[in-house]
Amino acid sequence: MKTIQRIPLQQIDLLDDTFSVNYLPDLQKLRSSIQEIGLIQPVLLRKKLDAYQIVCGFRRVSAMKVLGKSEIEARVFEEKEMDEFQLFSLSLHENLATRGFNAVEKAVALDKLIHRYQIHPTAVIKTFLPSFSLEPNEKILKTYLSLAQMEDEIKTYVLKEEVSRSNIRRLSALTSDDRLAVLSLISPLKLGENRLRELLTLLEEISRRNQSSAKEMIRQPEIQAILSQKELTPSQKAERVKKVLLILRYPKMHQMEKEFEKKRKGLNLPSNVSLHHSPFFEGRELKIEFQFETIEEYQSALNGLSILAEKKEFREMVNPLTLPLSPGGRGEG
Amino acid sequence: MFPFEIERIFLDEKAERDSVSETILKALSHVPVERVQDKRTLIKQFFSMPDPIGIGKKHLFVTHFYGRRLKPCPGTSNHICCGYYVINAITNCPMDCSYCVLQGYLNNPFLTLYTNWDDLLQEIDAFLSNDRQSFLRLGTGELSDSLALESIFPFSQFLIPFFAERHNGILELKTKSANVDPLLGFKHRGKTVVSWSLNPPRMIEQEEKRTAPLMKRIEAARKCQEKDYPLGFHFDPLICHEGWEKEYEETVIQLFKQIDPQRVVWVSLGGFRYPPKLKAIAEERFPQTEVFLGELFPGRDAKFRYLKEIRVEMYRKMAGWLKEADPDLFIYLCMESKEVWEKVFGWAPENSLHLNQLFEKRLKEFAK
Repeated sequence: MKTIQRIPLQQIDLLDDTFSVNYLPDLQKLRSSIQEIGLIQPVLLRKKLDAYQIVCGFRRVSAMKVLGKSEIEARVFEEKEMDEFQLFSLSLHENLATRGFNAVEKAVALDKLIHRYQIHPTAVIKTFLPSFSLEPNEKILKTYLSLAQMEDEIKTYVLKEEVSRSNIRRLSALTSDDRLAVLSLISPLKLGENRLRELLTLLEEISRRNQSSAKEMIRQPEIQAILSQKELTPSQKAERVKKVLLILRYPKMHQMEKEFEKKRKGLNLPSNVSLHHSPFFEGRELKIEFQFETIEEYQSALNGLSILAEKKEFREMVNPLTLPLSPGGRGEG
Repeated sequence: MFPFEIERIFLDEKAERDSVSETILKALSHVPVERVQDKRTLIKQFFSMPDPIGIGKKHLFVTHFYGRRLKPCPGTSNHICCGYYVINAITNCPMDCSYCVLQGYLNNPFLTLYTNWDDLLQEIDAFLSNDRQSFLRLGTGELSDSLALESIFPFSQFLIPFFAERHNGILELKTKSANVDPLLGFKHRGKTVVSWSLNPPRMIEQEEKRTAPLMKRIEAARKCQEKDYPLGFHFDPLICHEGWEKEYEETVIQLFKQIDPQRVVWVSLGGFRYPPKLKAIAEERFPQTEVFLGELFPGRDAKFRYLKEIRVEMYRKMAGWLKEADPDLFIYLCMESKEVWEKVFGWAPENSLHLNQLFEKRLKEFAK
């Protein structure tokens, strides 16, 4: 065990993040704790030529600085005492034992293991993923590595909204430009997990169908108009944006809905009577519902319904015209 | 030469002494063999891998099948089905189509070949003998590709002569391969239909990995035509994509440049459809697939299908192009409602039984 030394804070290089995986650390609690009972655990440093590198304790060093302290208790490694990977492992294990990591920190750690320390992905999957309480498989590793490469704004959103791994994967499929555009859409909508999945899936599928970018779609005046309506709640905005996207994703269905609605209006049904088509127009059947509170309302609904069969528009809705097959006639052969 | 990559053979010790196993091991003598006692552990181990379906296709499991090998095609509720029987000789497929329903259907990821072949032939024999009045259609192409494993084990060598001797059964060998040379020497007596699933070249290249290109399939069909095999064609799944009309019309034109429509016993049309769990599996395995980008919605049987209007339009156009080649072509719809039949053809079979009777009639006419 190394002896504890008191090291001046100004000799510690806070910008050297060789061993750091910190992302948006919450220093408030730590500061209060240090203020109340002082620093319990000394930090680990490595001596360099003109300064000290932090191996473990970035948050503690930052908190001490903010609190105006001039020195910190530390155990110090000499420059050549251990190699960088050993020190990084030490740092990971110490953090795992004490505070654990958020999703972005896991991503940064895995990214460093693979790209900086050249650890083979198979070894990372087998050894490190379980340490981070992640299932040891390639898909999970890829998800976190993609998160590590994302923009800071996206990383912050992922942490703040606790975005799931499947939605992180959806975000990773976008270009950087598209991702930031998507962020400008989803951020103000305050979406839950399922709604975020729905929106990301719609955006992805529409852009592939229409061969346009997510950014172009989001810039559409219709979507921008919804986002700028101050009187709408985030949930109302989300619902309206989804509607616009559904129309873009399912244009034929939308056209059929519109035609049905036009015909339905043409029937001049009493206000307490509603007419519905089968789900997704798959069946032929129509459904009529009516509501009433009084005998008069009941009678009025029945009167309205009794004359429906005479209306041409209604007959067309029940028996839509089918054109004969040409050429060749019967399919039976 | 087997055109697919097999990394390892798992040989169930119960199948070790079968002559079929010997044939397979001889054909794949360069592939390492691992004897297996506990297949459940093996299956579990493979299912925990990142892409069990993809890896499973490269591992051949040689085993026995216990239970009925012959089952009615499951069809789907509320739809007219054709009364087909599925022969379970192989499960899974070395080809890799993005839309393949087997990806979410099989409880064993391996390409599996069952070696208790005599049991199967006995079962088919008993089945046909029990129903001498009907004319039954049976096929091996539902749970795999009928001809993909032909160079490992020549199924056709057993099945084609077997059906040639039966009076009330027709075998359909359904494939996306061009591997028909082993079939050309057999006396089939018109009791084996060789059929191809067809799609336009761009869809084949993009969505049907490790299958034969369109022109190779048509060329293979022509070879079978020269040997008087009845031919079948399945435009199933029809995939609605940008430019589908031009591409499918051109596919039909190419087909009938080489194929005599008089030699075609049936043509089926089926719009792409899928059970809900397939999408996530397929998109994971084929991130570039376009098959899910259409306007697909759940039906009464929970399967997703194109909007009815879209299906009807596709079927009508396809039927029109096909009938230009021969107005008497026997075209049927796979797993469709009576209403869709009516909208496409102006008539519909009364029910599944009626469609089955139409098949019988067609086969009898064709045999004349």
